Amino acid sequence: MDTTVYVPIPDDAPAAGARPAVTPAVRARALTKTYGRGEAEVRALDGVDVDFAAGRFTAIMGPSGSGKSTLMHLLAGLDSATSGQAFVGSTEVTGLNDKALTAVRRTRVGFVFQQFNLLPMFTAEQNITLPVELAGGTVDKMWLGTLVDTLGLGKRLTHRPAELSGGQQQRVAIARALIAQPDVVFADEPTGNLDSRSGAEVLSFLRRSVRELGRTIIMVTHDPAAAAYADRVVLIADGKIAGDITDPTPESALAGLDALRTVAAR
Amino acid sequence: MIRLTLSQMRRSAGRLAAAAVAIVIGTAFVAVTLLAGNVITSTTYDSIAAQYTGADLVVRGAAPGGATEDAVRDVAGVATADEQLMSYQQLENGGRTIFQGVLAEPTDPAVLPLTVTDGALPEAAGEIALPTDVAERLDVAPGDQITLARNVLDGDQEVDEQAWTEVREKLTVSGTLDDPYGAFSMMGGAAVAPAADVQGWEADLMGPGESSGEPATLLVTLDEGVDVGQTREAITGAAATAASNAGMDVSAVDVVTPDEHAESVASEMTGGEDVIFTTFVLVFAAIALLVAALVIANTFQVLVAQRTRTLALLRCVGADKSQLRRSVLFEATLLGLASSVVGLLAGLGLGQAALAVGRGMDLGVPLPETITLTPAVVLVPVVVGTLVTLVAAFAPARAATRVAPLAALRPDEAPTAARGAGRVRLVLSLLVAVVGFALLGAGVALSTAAGEPTTGLLVGVAGGVLSFVGVLVSAVFWLPRVVALAGRLVGASGPTARLAAANTLRNPRRTAATSTALLIGVTLVGMMSTAAASARITMDAEFDGRYPVDVTVSTDLSGSGKDATPVPAGLGDTVRELDGVASVLEVPATSVQLAGDGVDEAAQVIARGMDPDEAASVLRSTESLTPLAAGTAVVPENVADVWGVTDGQTLTLTGPDGPLETTAAVTELADDAVVLVPDDLATLDAAAPTTGLWVGLDDPRDAAAVVPTIQDAVADTEAPADVLGAAVERASFQQVIDTALGIVVGLLAVAVVIALIGVANTLSLSVIERRRESATLRAIGLSKAQLRGMLAVEGVLIALVGAVLGVLLGLVYGWTGAAAALGWAGEPAIAVPWRDVLLMLGVALVAGLVASVAPARTAVRTSPVEALATE
Ligand SMILES: Nc1ncnc2c1ncn2[C@@H]1O[C@H](COP(=O)(O)OP(=O)(O)O)[C@@H](O)[C@H]1O
Ligand SMILES: [Mg+2]
Repeated sequence: MDTTVYVPIPDDAPAAGARPAVTPAVRARALTKTYGRGEAEVRALDGVDVDFAAGRFTAIMGPSGSGKSTLMHLLAGLDSATSGQAFVGSTEVTGLNDKALTAVRRTRVGFVFQQFNLLPMFTAEQNITLPVELAGGTVDKMWLGTLVDTLGLGKRLTHRPAELSGGQQQRVAIARALIAQPDVVFADEPTGNLDSRSGAEVLSFLRRSVRELGRTIIMVTHDPAAAAYADRVVLIADGKIAGDITDPTPESALAGLDALRTVAAR
Repeated sequence: MIRLTLSQMRRSAGRLAAAAVAIVIGTAFVAVTLLAGNVITSTTYDSIAAQYTGADLVVRGAAPGGATEDAVRDVAGVATADEQLMSYQQLENGGRTIFQGVLAEPTDPAVLPLTVTDGALPEAAGEIALPTDVAERLDVAPGDQITLARNVLDGDQEVDEQAWTEVREKLTVSGTLDDPYGAFSMMGGAAVAPAADVQGWEADLMGPGESSGEPATLLVTLDEGVDVGQTREAITGAAATAASNAGMDVSAVDVVTPDEHAESVASEMTGGEDVIFTTFVLVFAAIALLVAALVIANTFQVLVAQRTRTLALLRCVGADKSQLRRSVLFEATLLGLASSVVGLLAGLGLGQAALAVGRGMDLGVPLPETITLTPAVVLVPVVVGTLVTLVAAFAPARAATRVAPLAALRPDEAPTAARGAGRVRLVLSLLVAVVGFALLGAGVALSTAAGEPTTGLLVGVAGGVLSFVGVLVSAVFWLPRVVALAGRLVGASGPTARLAAANTLRNPRRTAATSTALLIGVTLVGMMSTAAASARITMDAEFDGRYPVDVTVSTDLSGSGKDATPVPAGLGDTVRELDGVASVLEVPATSVQLAGDGVDEAAQVIARGMDPDEAASVLRSTESLTPLAAGTAVVPENVADVWGVTDGQTLTLTGPDGPLETTAAVTELADDAVVLVPDDLATLDAAAPTTGLWVGLDDPRDAAAVVPTIQDAVADTEAPADVLGAAVERASFQQVIDTALGIVVGLLAVAVVIALIGVANTLSLSVIERRRESATLRAIGLSKAQLRGMLAVEGVLIALVGAVLGVLLGLVYGWTGAAAALGWAGEPAIAVPWRDVLLMLGVALVAGLVASVAPARTAVRTSPVEALATE
């Protein structure tokens, strides 16, 4: 039995300092992805080098079509790179076959989708525990309890997705992403389908997961207000890293985004 | 709208494939059936026409006998005129007996549609030409002799006093014949003997001067260059005069050409065999089409669900409900029409191929070279196929009209489960099912307990049909529950199975329709094989009691026991040595006089002697010989009826060595002799010869193979002994059941195949529908193997539930059917055809797995990235 007690990390503690950052949770080296050929060739990612620290909440921000989603897919091993490398911990995911990638997805990474993507025929609890069951493991009841409490899902566990609001569904999806205690959780526009109030709620939960539960989250967004919840913002434009903001505020994030647009406009 | 429908169809082409295949198979089935009906009609016509090929004119409705022949021959221009006379006679050689139609040889051999393969046509009295296969079976060649055993009416003209004598004559085989046009294939072929002989045999069956009164047919050939029209009239006149002289209906006399005659005979026969055949097979085609309709309905339901957004958009921009409905129905019509045409072509191809194969095999019936296209063959399959598709699309078309314009504005959602069916349907269908099952029970009770087999069978069949309709219509309510239950069972085995079980319940209607399609076929196959198994066991028991002896070799059949020659010494041992023979009992017999209260004074029968214990070693059932003991005469029911013997009465038997007082015990023994213990027989006739061998076989099913070897052994001794095999009858009965079962199951298999295509169809449609979900599952850690496993479990669940329920229903229907149909034959046995049951479940299991292969291939190709896609 795993009897680990998760000690909440105080809000004011420097997040990165909570553990020594020996290796970053996720790394990209000269990561390149092109779609199509010849005339129609699109260079969605162009030699990206970036590190994502463990125990941090990082936002990837950029204009629409800048390559945010592509970067995330490659980092998570969902899609194959044209060249370059991507690492989760010390594992190079760019070189793995489907079987090994499935193993990585089961234990090392979690996903939160814009469309929630819960299974309609299962209850909230069944949805949350599904990844562990697919991997053939046993659900850590204590960790499940912690997640449910943190995400405020206590009364909703027996409900099916159709009986839940969008915000609630996304919180269930976050719990599902965290249940296997992955090294990193990727979230692609997690608030894209939510009203601003539910969106804010979901973002605070993501931040609490990092601060209180010691998780690592990489979130893709085009919304400066959402990016401001993160510890750090990585800016991307035209498939290249275009900037880095630590401890962003909505204002600084917006300013960063505007700067990109000005660059692009010029 | 039409353009839109067409473009939607193009986009959904892959999804329509399974529905199209289902229609193609169904319509091909219909087309082949109609073609086969046509072939039967045309071979009937050809075979009839062949009988008259050599003749120039055919006289119908003429008076039988030489007078008409002479009158017609006297007409100027007539070359020959012969009555077409066929006499059925018993031909024997050694131990073999064949009942054969013998044709009177016409004056002009050209009239005969037979060809001589060896030897010649008969030239003198006492000669006969045999069909090649008959000569083979009798083991004779031209020049050999065979025995003709025929009955001759003798005695006074007083009907009461008439008696039959069996006459045995030797005939010389003059040659062997082939029937290249199949002219007599429907009468078991024809031998040929001189006209005078055949006429004599027929005359011996009637009193002096008597005539059968049956109108005769004459074959006429004309001199060269004679005007057919004029001669025809002259012949009509001559035949009419002869008919009126004979006191027959003159207006029935008619002279026609062979073609006209064949046509009218063939058209009298249509409405016969071919119609029965076509109707019979079309019932199975209808079942196949019903199953196809379920597959089609499923497909369109899914298509409409997947197009919800497009349909809603159309509604937003002003399309009205009827336009949407028409669009779906138009699509169905196009699909139905195209698939039906393909099905028709496939059917025609199959029909032609079958003819080619059939011509290659020697079927004894000359088959036409090519299929005959009639308007019905072309139109019926296409119209039926299109209509079935259209009707199957009605419900989905209605669903399309229910799409609210608002649905276009909702976020992209997986299509939700279809609305459950109405309460009215539930109540009505359950009512129909309950009434049906009650009628089924009543039918069984009527035919077994109440002894009303015909009424019972009718009530039972009505009940069976009603209950099956009820079960099928209500399936949408209860079948998903059964699937849920089965799902819970397999769900315990892990998350993959649990996912699969949950998936089968997402759209209960679709799952129910898919399983139901399979259930229909499996129920019917199960019913047939259960009924056949039950019938076999029931009839076995019945045969055991009625024909306790597998094979008898006897020299005292047909009442000629007085001067019976004994069975050759050593034959018993020879037979005992044969393969497949288990035991042989040598039965001595003598002829005795019966006397007793109410017993006919003329009662003369054969008495056999046998030891009850020894008899038991040969008999299948000793029931009918149970009373056999010293001082008791076992009297078969039919003997008792003829001579007025009653059970338990005192019966005095008198044989050559004196009388014997016995008690009569009437039983169901199938024999025409009374049975005594050996000592009692010795009292009657101390020197009673062995006139019979009772032979028990190892397995009566092998009778068809063993009996000929016994016949050979008997033939080798050249003793005039008959070999009678009740076991042969039993085996041929079993073969009839097995053949009928094989044909019916083969026909039903088409429905099962379509249903299995339906399973694959449902799975692949679901996979397309659940694209994003599969991607999500892959993203959260479902391996490719697990995804494949999930779909395999889904397929197996749907298929097995249909098959298991079908088998259970099939058992119920099979048992009740056998009980209702065979209730008269005593206690109906209940049999489970385990082999067939396991086979069906095995096929369902494998088919479920196979059905998941293609959809699984599509599913695993889905990249997990698609889970993140927004559109
Ligand atoms: N499957 C694909 N095929 C072709 N081009 C693609 C594909 N996916 C993305 N792209 C292109 O790559 C670029 C980056 O896309 P994406 O990473 O989705 O941007 P973002 O998420 O920042 O909006 C865009 O120009 C997009 O059109
Ligand atoms: Mg994106």
